[in-house]
Amino acid sequence: SGGAGALAQWVLVELQGEVEPRQSRGLAGSLLGDLHYTCEGVPVLIVGHHILYGKVVQLEKPFAVLVKRGGAPQPSPAGSHGHYTVTALIKTKLLFKTRPKPIITHVPKKV
Amino acid sequence: AAMRSRAEVDATLQTAKLNPAELLPAVHCLSFGPQAGGGECCLLQLEPGLCAELEAGRSLVIRGEKDEHAVLCSKDKTYDMKIADTSNMLLFVPGCKTPEELNADSTSCTIIHSQIAGFSNNYWELRRCRPKLKKLRKLLMEDPYEGPDSQKDQTSTFSKYTTEDLLSLIQASEEEILHQLQVIDACKIEGYWRILDFDYEVKLLNHVTQLIDSESWPLSKVPLCTCLEELGSLEPREMIEHILLSYGRKYVDDGEVFFEMREDKICRAIAQMLLQNAVKFNLSEFEEVWQQSVPEGMTTRLDQLQGLALVDKSSRPETIFLLKVEDLPEDNQERFNSLFGIREKWTEVDITPYIQDLCAEKQTVGALLTKYARSSMLNGVKVYNSRRPIS
Repeated sequence: SGGAGALAQWVLVELQGEVEPRQSRGLAGSLLGDLHYTCEGVPVLIVGHHILYGKVVQLEKPFAVLVKRGGAPQPSPAGSHGHYTVTALIKTKLLFKTRPKPIITHVPKKV
Repeated sequence: AAMRSRAEVDATLQTAKLNPAELLPAVHCLSFGPQAGGGECCLLQLEPGLCAELEAGRSLVIRGEKDEHAVLCSKDKTYDMKIADTSNMLLFVPGCKTPEELNADSTSCTIIHSQIAGFSNNYWELRRCRPKLKKLRKLLMEDPYEGPDSQKDQTSTFSKYTTEDLLSLIQASEEEILHQLQVIDACKIEGYWRILDFDYEVKLLNHVTQLIDSESWPLSKVPLCTCLEELGSLEPREMIEHILLSYGRKYVDDGEVFFEMREDKICRAIAQMLLQNAVKFNLSEFEEVWQQSVPEGMTTRLDQLQGLALVDKSSRPETIFLLKVEDLPEDNQERFNSLFGIREKWTEVDITPYIQDLCAEKQTVGALLTKYARSSMLNGVKVYNSRRPIS
């Protein structure tokens, strides 16, 4: 259900491929990267050694973010689907579809 | 994880050979929040109108028992839910600002530490569907109301259903459920929704039609007050009023409540009463008895029986039998299978009352026939039969 009070507006970031943790300790808490915008409003994401250029897209069909709450046990003939709460709405996405440009960090010096 | 500093961000920009002068001053440092990998968050793609409903503070409800496909219900619509996969990774980021919002804010070189709340490579897709209301009738038919004198109610162990119960059991929106309760002439008795046992319903109807006859009232002007006075000793007043509401159109004239009796519906009920006692009837015999059984001044017509009875024109003599659309399957394919099992070839006129309720929002009967049936000509008439062999 929608709650009382205004719903938060989140943003979707869409990346190609999968996100994998660099370290074995898992994703939680680890950094993804820095998100910049050019003065023209083009999003630029620096992830590891890659630069990704994207674009801001207004979604034709917005998303609702649902968070599952454990369904409270009910005695009467009640539906058995767990309860979901709408936490936020997403109307905008940052779409990164371009091939990542690798950042070359060590350029051999010319002798 | 340690929060990145401005110096670290600038160093990264330098390594990446990006010119800070070409960038907005603010930067988001994205990291994965503590719950990010938990999978408790999921995305639901909203059909037009649903976003506005949520923003207005209204609820969406997901309904379905373990053996049912989940549906999503707004206040007045029902949607099928389906998982859509994407080959991309979708990250949901609270507090992430767009370029417009940053420009409007005109903050200086700030770092916005944003935590990714979750990620997914799929989302729920919605598709508007017909509300699944057959179950509503099925539940209420578990224990039809047979009147106050019935012994059953006192000792009944069957479930009785309140509005709340129905909302949690039926895969439809609240408005669709309440509308359907009206359509099937359900009534609330002691807080529970009940459907009348048909014999009891006919009994009530007969009280009213006999009174109309003895009082010589016009069928279009039956006074509520007098009905309650005259019949109140025979049946509960709520039941008398209910039968008038079911079989008449209420209006007020000069401060008094009257009912304009619905001829078609009354004739139809009497037909059902006659037909349910036999497998089939000789058509002409039936038509005679039927006309004689309806109240004075009413005229019976076969088209009053659409979706209730079917005439077999191929038998000699022609016959008629009871076939109620509400007894047939709710699923499109199953409905057509069932109909073609009853009769191999149907004309469009005959089959329409039995498939009309399957039409989606902008769908026509013709479109359904194209999809689920095959047409051919029989004696110069277009008929429809099954696309597949019926076992």
